[in-house]
Amino acid sequence: MEQVLTNGVYLGAQYALIALGLTLIFALMNVLNFAHGQMYVLGGFVTYTVYGRFEMPFVVAILASAVTLAILGAFVEKFLFRPVLKNSEREESSMLLAAGLAFFLDAVILLLFGEKQRGVPKIIDGVMNWDFLIIMPYDRILIGVLAITFIVTFILFMQYSKPGRAMRALAQDKVAAQLMGVNVTRYSMLGFALGAMLAGIAGGLLVSIVGVNSGIGGPISIKAFMMVMIGGAGVISGAIAGGFILGMLESIGLTVLVAYGDMTYLLIFVSLMIFLSIRPQGLMGKPWG
Amino acid sequence: MNKNIKLLPVVAFLLSICTSVLAVNPVLDIGFVGVTSGPAASWGISNQRSMEAGASLINDAGGVKIGGTTYDINIVSFDDQKDPKRAIAGMEKMAQKGIHYVVGPNVDDGAAAVRPVAEQQNIMYFPYAFPKSLYTKPASNAILGMVANYQSGPAIYKYLKDNEGVKTVAFIAANESDPLSQREGGVAAAELLGLNVISKTVTYQVDTTDFMPVIVPIVKLQPDLLVLSGVAPANAPQLIRSARELGFKGLISTETGQDAQVLMDGAGDLANGFISVGGASTPEIKSAEMDKFVTRYIEMFGEYNDESNTKVYALEYIIATLKANPAAINNVDEFKNTMETFTAPNPYLKGDRVLKYVGMSSFGQKRQISIPLVVNVYNNGKFETLFVAEVD
Amino acid sequence: MSKASKLIYFFIFLVTILGIVPWLIEISGRWDYYYTLTSVALLSIASSGVWLTFYIGRINIGQGAYALAGGYVVAILVTKYDVSFWLSVPIAGLFCSFVSMLIGASILRLRGVYFAMITLVLTEVAKLTAMSLPITNGAKGISSIALPGELSIFGISIIPDFSTLANVKLAFYYVAVILMIFVFAGMYRLVNSRIGHLCRSLQQNEELASSIGVNITILRIIAYSISSFLGGIGGAIFISISQSVYPTTFQVADSINFMLNVFVGGMGYVFGPMIGTLFIYFGWDLLFTTGKYQLLIYSSIIIALILVLPNGLLSLRIFNKSNKREAK
Repeated sequence: MEQVLTNGVYLGAQYALIALGLTLIFALMNVLNFAHGQMYVLGGFVTYTVYGRFEMPFVVAILASAVTLAILGAFVEKFLFRPVLKNSEREESSMLLAAGLAFFLDAVILLLFGEKQRGVPKIIDGVMNWDFLIIMPYDRILIGVLAITFIVTFILFMQYSKPGRAMRALAQDKVAAQLMGVNVTRYSMLGFALGAMLAGIAGGLLVSIVGVNSGIGGPISIKAFMMVMIGGAGVISGAIAGGFILGMLESIGLTVLVAYGDMTYLLIFVSLMIFLSIRPQGLMGKPWG
Repeated sequence: MNKNIKLLPVVAFLLSICTSVLAVNPVLDIGFVGVTSGPAASWGISNQRSMEAGASLINDAGGVKIGGTTYDINIVSFDDQKDPKRAIAGMEKMAQKGIHYVVGPNVDDGAAAVRPVAEQQNIMYFPYAFPKSLYTKPASNAILGMVANYQSGPAIYKYLKDNEGVKTVAFIAANESDPLSQREGGVAAAELLGLNVISKTVTYQVDTTDFMPVIVPIVKLQPDLLVLSGVAPANAPQLIRSARELGFKGLISTETGQDAQVLMDGAGDLANGFISVGGASTPEIKSAEMDKFVTRYIEMFGEYNDESNTKVYALEYIIATLKANPAAINNVDEFKNTMETFTAPNPYLKGDRVLKYVGMSSFGQKRQISIPLVVNVYNNGKFETLFVAEVD
Repeated sequence: MSKASKLIYFFIFLVTILGIVPWLIEISGRWDYYYTLTSVALLSIASSGVWLTFYIGRINIGQGAYALAGGYVVAILVTKYDVSFWLSVPIAGLFCSFVSMLIGASILRLRGVYFAMITLVLTEVAKLTAMSLPITNGAKGISSIALPGELSIFGISIIPDFSTLANVKLAFYYVAVILMIFVFAGMYRLVNSRIGHLCRSLQQNEELASSIGVNITILRIIAYSISSFLGGIGGAIFISISQSVYPTTFQVADSINFMLNVFVGGMGYVFGPMIGTLFIYFGWDLLFTTGKYQLLIYSSIIIALILVLPNGLLSLRIFNKSNKREAK
C-alpha cells in the first residue's frame, strides 16, 4: 500500500503540473484549450532535441522548452484567440479554434519529429529501495520534487507578484479588473504565454521519465480536462487538487480493482460523472464556469 | 475565369511533358489504407514507408515484368486516422482508382468495417488485424499480412517453457479492442500449454503516460513471464522500464513487432532480454536484398523503423503472385486461384525459404501470407534471433 | 422570405440531392462519392442533434456516446434477435432518447464548460461500457451484420431487400439523404415553433425564462432527448453500412467532430450542421491526395476559416440573405 500511495503522490504531481496551465488559460479567457496536450508534447520534443540530441545540460533543455512554448503561447493568443474572441457572437467559437490548433500542432509535430516514441538518457541512475515497501527510481524522485517546486513557485508568483495579482483579478471579474486599471490585453497574452509555458515545462520534465511521442497530445488534453473538472474550472488550487486526486484515484483504483480488470476505468469515469452531477462546480470551482 | 482559360493550354502542355518523361512504363497502383496520424501513427507509417521503399527499389530497377508488360509500381495511401468510418472511405477511394490490391487496415475495427466494400468492389486486402472471422469463410477477400498472436504466442511460450523453465505467466494489455483480443488468445494458448496464468486482468488506458501504478500489482506476483499483449511500440519501453525498476526479475515478451531504437531510448539496458517478434531484421537470417531495402528506407525517410521488418512482405507477395498469374491484375478470382498453389523464393531471408499462402489450420482456407516466425531478443540496442519457426 | 420562395428553394434542394447529385456521380463515374455523401448525411443528422443542444445553450461533446449506443442497439437486435433493420433503427433512437433522459435529468443542470466536459466523459464511458458488457461482445465487437432486409406494409414492398440490389451504395445514399431531409425539415419546424422560441430563450437567459413560467427542466430534457435520438439513428444506419460495430466505432474524436461540424456551419443556423459536416468531412476526403501534409492543410484551413468567419460558414453574406432570418 505504501508503494501505491507513493505512486499516487508522484503521479498527482505530474498531473497537477499539466493541469495548471490549462486552468490558468481557462480562468483568464474562458478558453478551453484543446491544444494543451499538444503544447505539452512540443515541450517534450524540445527537451528531447536539446538534451537528448545536442547533449546540452538538462536545465538548459527545460529552459528551452519553457521559452519556446511561452513564445508560441503569446503568438497564439495575439494572432488567433484575440481576434476570434473579439469577432465571434458566441465565445464558444474559441473551442473550434482550439481544436483546429490542436490538429495543426499534431501535424507539425508529426512532420518535424516523426512517428516514433522518443526518450532521453536517464538524468540519474539508480533506484531507491526502502525495505521493499517503497521502491522509487531516483530520477522519478527528482522529477517529482522539481514538479512540486514549479507548482509552488507558480502559486507564489500568482499570489505575490504584480502580474500574478493582476491576473487573479482578471480571472475573478474582467470588468472590475479593467476598471481598476488592469491592462486586459497585456495580461491575457501574458497568461496565455504562461499557461503554454507550464505545459512545455511539464512536457520537458516528463520526457526524461516517460518519453514522448507525437500522437499523445490529444489524450493528454482530455485527461487534463478531467483533472480541471474534478478540482473546479478556472481555479488554480482546484487544478492542483484535481491532479492529485486523479493521480491517487488511478493508483489506488488500479490496485484495488485489479480483479475487475477492464472495469477499473469505467468505474473511475462513472464515479467522476456522478460526482460532477452532484457537485457541478467541482471541488472548489466558480459556480458556473 | 478569363485568366483560367488562358492558363489551360499551358497546364495541358506541362502535364503532357510530365507524363511523357515519367511514365516510361505503365503504372500499377497498389493501395494502402491505414493509420498515419494520431497516437497509433507509427503502425501505419512504418507500413506505408516499407511499401514506398519497396516500390522505389522496383522502379529503379526498371519496373516489374508482369505478363508481357513491364510496370512501375505506385503506392496510393489513405490515412484512415484509425477510424473505421474513414477506412471505408479509403477503400472506396481505392476502388475508384481501379485498385484491386490494398495493404491494411492496421486495426480490428477498420479491417472489419472495410470488408463489405472490399467484397463488393473486388479488392483483396491485407490487414494487420487478427480476428479470425475476417479470414474464415464466407469471408474471402482478406489475407492476414503477418503472423497472428494466436500463432506466435504458443510457439514463444512453449520455447520459454522448455528452455527457460517458465511456469507462471501474467498478461497485461491496453484497454482497447486489439490488445484485449490478443490477450484472450494469449491466455488460452498459455493455459493449453499447462502454464499457470496468475494474472490476466491488468489493463491500462491508451492515454497512460506513466506505467508505474499500472504495473505494481503484477510485479508483486513475480510471474516467471510477463506478456505485454498487443503492446504499441511507444508503450513497450515504458512498461519494461517500470517493471524492471520496481524489481521485476522474470522474462518479458510480446507478440508484436518492436523497434530497437525506441527500446534503447525509452528503457536503455533495462530492455535487455525483452522478447518480441521480428521479420527479417537480424544479421543471422537477413539476405542482401533485405539490406538493400533497409538502406533504401533510410535514404528515403532518414531513419529505419524495425516494425517494417514484418511489413516488408505484403507488397512482395502481391507482386510475386501477380507475376505468377498476370490475369490476376484485374481479376481477384484469378488471384484467389493462384494463391492455392503459389510459391516463390523469399528474397529477404538467407537460405531457400519460400513465399506461399498458408492458414489452413487457423482459418480453413489459405488466407494468410507465410512469413517465418522470427522471435527476437533485444540486447544492447540490437535484436538477436532467438529462434525461427514456421506457421502453417 | 416569402413562403412561396422558400418552397422553391426547398424544391431546388430536393431535386439537387435526389436527382442531380446521383446523376452527376453516374456520368462522372465517381462512385466513391456515394459513400462520402452518405456519411455526410448521416453524420449531419447526428450533428443536428448537437446543434439543438447548442440551441438551448449547452456545449455537447457527447454525441459519440449516443451514436455508438444506437449502433449497438441495431447490431444486437439484428444479429441476436432477428428484428428487422427498419424497425430496429427507430428502436435504437428511442433507446438513446430514454437513456439520455435519465442521464440528462442530472447533468443538464450543469452549464458551460462543465456540461461540455461531463459529456466528453460520457463518450468515454460509452466506449468502456461497450468494451466490458457481455451483450456487446466486449472488445471483439459485433461483425457480419446482415444488410437491411425488405420493408413491406400490408404485403406491399416499400423498400427492397438490400442484399438483392445491384447498387447498395445508391440505396444507402437515398436512405441517408431522405432521412436527413426529414430531420432538417423537422428541426426547422421545431425551431420556428413555440418550443423553439422557448429553447432560444433558454440560450439567452435561463433565469429569465424560468421566471416567466417556462418549465426549463422539462424543456431541456426534451431538447436533449431529441438530440440523442438523432445521434442514435445516425449511428444505427452507419453500422449497417460497415456491417460491423466496435467500441471504437464512435469515440471521443467523433464527439469532437460533431461539435466542430456545428461550429463550422454556424451555431446560429438550422442548416449549419449540414453545411459544416459537408465541409469538414468532404474536405478531408478531397485532401487525401496531399499525402502526409493532409492534416497540416486541413487544420490550417479550419484555423483560417474561424479567423475569417468566426460565426460559421453560413454567416457568409450570400447565405445570409436567405437563412439568417429563418433561424435567428
